[in-house]
Amino acid sequence: MAKTILAVDDSGSLRQMVAFSLKAAGYEVVSAVDGQDGLNKAKEKTVDLVLTDQNMPIMDGLTLIKHLRELGSYKTVPILMLTTESSDEMKAKGKAAGANGWLVKPFDPKRLIEVVQKVIGS
Amino acid sequence: MEMKTLPITELRKLLGAVSDHGKQHLVEVEADLLQTTFLLSEAIEKLGASFTAVHEAVTEQQQVLDALVAKYAFDQEELNRLDAFKQKIGEEVNAVVTSLQFQDLTSQLISRTIKRVNGLKDLLHEIETHSGEMEPSHEHEEIAKFLDAMSHSLNEGSHALSGGLRRSVGQQDMATGEIDLF
Repeated sequence: MAKTILAVDDSGSLRQMVAFSLKAAGYEVVSAVDGQDGLNKAKEKTVDLVLTDQNMPIMDGLTLIKHLRELGSYKTVPILMLTTESSDEMKAKGKAAGANGWLVKPFDPKRLIEVVQKVIGS
Repeated sequence: MEMKTLPITELRKLLGAVSDHGKQHLVEVEADLLQTTFLLSEAIEKLGASFTAVHEAVTEQQQVLDALVAKYAFDQEELNRLDAFKQKIGEEVNAVVTSLQFQDLTSQLISRTIKRVNGLKDLLHEIETHSGEMEPSHEHEEIAKFLDAMSHSLNEGSHALSGGLRRSVGQQDMATGEIDLF
């Protein structure tokens, strides 16, 4: 059974490119337009991996991670940040919030898949 | 000793003109940026749709080719060429996926610029408001206080504006970003 990834990003083009890359590698993708939408969808169905942007309206990525880590079902689910932010300060905040990795945009589909496979397998 | 009078009326006119013209130009800048955002948004939508359609067509074409290769005998040289095409297409698809992310980066930068434009409009409005409080009948000290208060207010407004506009996009090109696993 294909593993499911929740991709959260307010940019439509980014959601499209992420979904395209992950689906081509055999994963199922659930997309969300901001942190709040991501949190709602994460509660509907526990996914195998969360891939989230940081700067989004309504709820940002760090807040989403903090809320997810408070849910019993998301204590150990891997969460990766995919963002334009590249400062050490932001990465430290991400790590403290409970992120398992940090990917700086733009992403290379091949490398994204390699990371996802390393984190949750094929 | 004769007291020199400050040209308060002219000063108010000047500050009012700076504010009016500045705001007028900033309104135009904002309109251009919004138009750019809409154009980029529509372009990326069409590019994304075309890219997906082309990719689906190429994938189906590849399936047909695979079926032909399985059914008929081909020279090894022809098979090698087909493999090379397949690899080249894969590499180009990856490059397109990376490049199409430009809209996310540029829209964040444009959004930040629009916020700065709006902040500048507020600062110019403040100049107009403060300058309106000055009267020709005011003493030099009062005028100096008004100007000092205006300068202080602009400094504070400018710092607040910069503080609220953290730079979230530092990318100078479309090279792929680094990856850290914690």
